[in-house]
Amino acid sequence: MLQIESSNLLLEKTIRECLSTEIESLKGIQRTFTDFDFTTYQVSNSTAKHLVVVSIYVKCWSDLVNYGVEEYLEAKYAKFNKVLQKIETEAGYDFSFVLDLSVAQKEDVEFKEELVSELANLKRNSIAAPFEKAFSRYDELAETYANSNVYSEEVKQELENESILTINYRGLDESIYIKPSFDRVTVIFSTIFKDETDKIFGRVFLQEFVDARRRTVQTAPQVLYSHIEPPLDIRNVIQGRADDNKGYVTFVLFPRHLVKGDRRQNCISHIQFFRNYFHYHIKCAKAYMHSRMRFRVKEFLKVLNRAKPENVDDEGKLIENRKTASGRRFEVGRG
Amino acid sequence: MSQSLKPYLTAVRSSLTAAICLEDFSSQLVERHNRPEIEVDNSHNPELILNPMVIARNENEKVLIEPSINSVRVSIKIKQADEIEQILVHQFARFLTSRAENFFILRRVPIKGYDISFLVTNFHTEQMLKDKLVDFIIEFMEEVDKEISEMKLFLNARARVIAEAYLTPFD
Repeated sequence: MLQIESSNLLLEKTIRECLSTEIESLKGIQRTFTDFDFTTYQVSNSTAKHLVVVSIYVKCWSDLVNYGVEEYLEAKYAKFNKVLQKIETEAGYDFSFVLDLSVAQKEDVEFKEELVSELANLKRNSIAAPFEKAFSRYDELAETYANSNVYSEEVKQELENESILTINYRGLDESIYIKPSFDRVTVIFSTIFKDETDKIFGRVFLQEFVDARRRTVQTAPQVLYSHIEPPLDIRNVIQGRADDNKGYVTFVLFPRHLVKGDRRQNCISHIQFFRNYFHYHIKCAKAYMHSRMRFRVKEFLKVLNRAKPENVDDEGKLIENRKTASGRRFEVGRG
Repeated sequence: MSQSLKPYLTAVRSSLTAAICLEDFSSQLVERHNRPEIEVDNSHNPELILNPMVIARNENEKVLIEPSINSVRVSIKIKQADEIEQILVHQFARFLTSRAENFFILRRVPIKGYDISFLVTNFHTEQMLKDKLVDFIIEFMEEVDKEISEMKLFLNARARVIAEAYLTPFD
């Protein structure tokens, strides 16, 4: 389990189950489940058996709305138009779809599978909206400046003033900043380390991220890391307090990562899961250290127990009832 | 084993063997009390405390041996070259001290300036073999260094794999 899947397995299973069960035998569904970054999904069919409502709550929805997430999602799911419609949002959620099973079940397998996988990627698609926006802005800029001298002062100034997209995906302290330019898109993550160990492990990991490009994966995006101090690009838009435990990770995406089509989509899914991936692996490393120390402590105990005279076993418990070769016991206190 | 480690461990071993020469000794101040004299404030009867001794391999690695009539306190400072090792040593020491009751001779709180402390009393030497106790402390010192550097190597190797696994799919 090296990579984290961008889709939500529970959502995927639930939808697939709905699509494969006869409507008559379908029971009432009311399922709520969570995903990374405080995301919540709800799947229910309270109004009618064949109408399944899928809702999503994303913590940074208000930011996403600024970057046109609703239009983006509608466009994204437009190909499922006859079975999937946007409806009025359920209370407590940010976006709702209704899925008409009576129509959807008549479709062919391919259509169903695509529907299931796209729905399971609902969170990924929501967060993708600002990335799409930034990347299309990059397309525009690349076209505008294709033939101009990009080293001239005016152009530099203009690029400097390019607005930065901010997604406070885990409250004000942990955010994603995206800055498009004519020859690259810069994505900056700010993240908080919970304790000293996380911080130091995180630093070791990030150092390898920085070095990996130099060593093996030369075509990867450039990675930069700074601790406490935010990078120059985003210094003016930083919200939230300065914190000793805060780190900034910068990814510089080059045109080769932004080629339209599959590669761009792949890039979006991959980069938005950076924080989850990163922290997940810090936790894994800690867990491994823990089990390793447990083992080592056991070994030490064995060594210490050797110091005890023979009537104890490996775990330090007294061995009672020792017997001689012929099976007789040592008994104390009898004449 | 590196060149300088062997004499260091030999010195610790012979000093410990000499220091762990304990006898039962009841408190002179409180009736019916029997306590490790090294742990008590002994300004009233300084004759119970022997001269403490520091054996240092370098400024980051040293052992403090504090003998007394019925107890010896041994404190070890483990090598910490950088902050990764620092955090690993800290975690490891915490892990051990939280299991102190299984370790009989482990002190729950290390002496200031050291990472881990052992307290050997006459009751321990009555129940356990002295040579083996010394063996344990020496083996502990050897293994801890090895364990810490292995963990550090592992962490770096893991970080490398993780970074490459993340960055490769971009292309």
